[in-house]
Amino acid sequence: MGDGAPILEIKGITKQFGKLLAVNNVSLDIVDGEFFTIVGPSGSGKTTLLRMLAGLEKPSGGDVVLRGNVVNDVPANKRPTCMVFQSLALFNHRTVGQNIEFSLKMRGVSRAERKVRAMELMKTVRLPEDYYAKGVTKCSGGERQRVALARALASDPDIMFFDEPLSAIDYQLRKHLEVELKDLHRETGKTFMYITHSLEEAMVMSDRIGIMQAGHLIQVGTPDEIYSRPLNKFVSEFMGEVNTLGVKRSADGKFECAELSAQLAGPAQAGNSDTGYLVIRPESMRFLSDPSEADNHVKGSLFNEYAMGSRVQYHVRAGGYMLVVEKLREQAYQGKIDDDVIIGWDVKDSVLVSD
Amino acid sequence: MESKVKRWSNALICVWTGIVLLFFFLPIAAVIISSLGKSRYFRFPVKTWSGKWYEQTINANLTENLHITSLYVAACVAAIAVVLGFFGALAFARYDWKGRIFYQRLIMLPIFFPQAVLGLALLLWFTYIGVLPTWEAAVFAHLVWIAPIVTLVISIQVYGFDVSQEEAAYDLGANRFQVFWEVTLPALAPGLFSGALFAFLLSWGNFSLSTYTTGADSTVTEWLYTKMSSGYTPMIPTMGAFSVYGSVIILFLGYIFLIAQRRRAAKRA
Repeated sequence: MGDGAPILEIKGITKQFGKLLAVNNVSLDIVDGEFFTIVGPSGSGKTTLLRMLAGLEKPSGGDVVLRGNVVNDVPANKRPTCMVFQSLALFNHRTVGQNIEFSLKMRGVSRAERKVRAMELMKTVRLPEDYYAKGVTKCSGGERQRVALARALASDPDIMFFDEPLSAIDYQLRKHLEVELKDLHRETGKTFMYITHSLEEAMVMSDRIGIMQAGHLIQVGTPDEIYSRPLNKFVSEFMGEVNTLGVKRSADGKFECAELSAQLAGPAQAGNSDTGYLVIRPESMRFLSDPSEADNHVKGSLFNEYAMGSRVQYHVRAGGYMLVVEKLREQAYQGKIDDDVIIGWDVKDSVLVSD
Repeated sequence: MESKVKRWSNALICVWTGIVLLFFFLPIAAVIISSLGKSRYFRFPVKTWSGKWYEQTINANLTENLHITSLYVAACVAAIAVVLGFFGALAFARYDWKGRIFYQRLIMLPIFFPQAVLGLALLLWFTYIGVLPTWEAAVFAHLVWIAPIVTLVISIQVYGFDVSQEEAAYDLGANRFQVFWEVTLPALAPGLFSGALFAFLLSWGNFSLSTYTTGADSTVTEWLYTKMSSGYTPMIPTMGAFSVYGSVIILFLGYIFLIAQRRRAAKRA
């Protein structure tokens, strides 16, 4: 994907609440059929952006163009889009069937036809048939999620919006539902636009990811691009645990890290500033028996180790930093807490980012 | 040792509960007992039982008229208070608007006003603008006090209502009216029901406001009070007993309805 026609064009969209600029001049094209995720911390404006796209909020400036038509003034109930809300917003006084059929009922579809469609959708989202007459309040968290999905799908929208629907679900079920959601995307072929504060979640599901910070869309790319070439320190740290070393470019093309009092070799890419951060992922760090085994090395002492299922994580105190090293279980470091260790990484595994 | 303590504490809880229940229900029982005694004044234990006060009360043609007046007033108050309270509660708890805090305080005021003073004030005002004291005027008087209470009762339901349900319905293609009819109203229905119940009962049992404003129309509570002060007869507890019987019948019917509905739901599922 990525070369199809845009189904949705966002052109310089802005939203102002009083003095607060919640969304600041965001432009973005969404390709027909892609799974696009917007990631950002709370307050970054991602929900406001989504609400403007769904028609629940009017933009203060800019245009929303859906299949070539400006839809700024088209209200949510007239847009061929549908939103799955963070709270799911299920109609608690209704049954599963009534929830799913809601949009069809609003369109005046007959009762018999509605039921046929609802049954189909329940099958799509893997809800048992006998749930049709069950009250939604009697469903479990995962089941409610499925009802919300089926209800949104029932209106056969061009684009499905998701406003962090998995955020309140426990870890294991969430992992499971992420996979299901991605499968559902494949089965339906619809355009999905998802927002979350978890880059990990975005990585699993998305074709492309956009990162928002303080109302700006700062980076857009495939999960791989974002993972390997984060735009700045914010993006790299947002991706999870990374080692971020503050460095200053010195005359010989090396980087001086004052905190570690070390000269480090860094990527040759041209930077526009002399100061920046070297970002090294924990799994690119390794324990060395000799400093020459890697392009860079740092001496430190093993502070603690953490078993994380298939991996083991180590915290190594070096200078003012607590560096993170991650190894597969079968390659675990053989040693004790408080050992003096040498850890290192290769230049190709590091990225230089700006502030 | 521990089980002995537990047994003791259980026994004490039972005794305490029993005493509280007795304290609540003994007065009601006393009303019924005194309505069934033959003698003119309440004596316990009752020496001779008799239904003559029932006969007299029914023959006096009072029961029907008094209860109908009370019923009219209470039903009108409940209906109007729920409508006012519903929209009032939306303004109170659902929407954020300029002056909401002031409105929230203002609406509480009538509740804190002593009812006797409120009744007098309303009567003076009715006289001034030329409204005759009748049961209809009493409906208005009751509303001044009851509508704010109903507003608060419904507000509790509104506070617990997830507003995004309305947005979801709108997003799913419903128009504003459909959102209201299909989502907001049914979701708030339990609150509306308890609001109506509150309004009805508060109006039904109200004396202070009625006594100033009903004029020639008399409610059950007014009649009871007037009779008490002008000369006791066992017709008073008899009238009270009728109200108790009415409540028991209504409760019983409600219970049967509830069971029937549960059966029906179980059959459908």
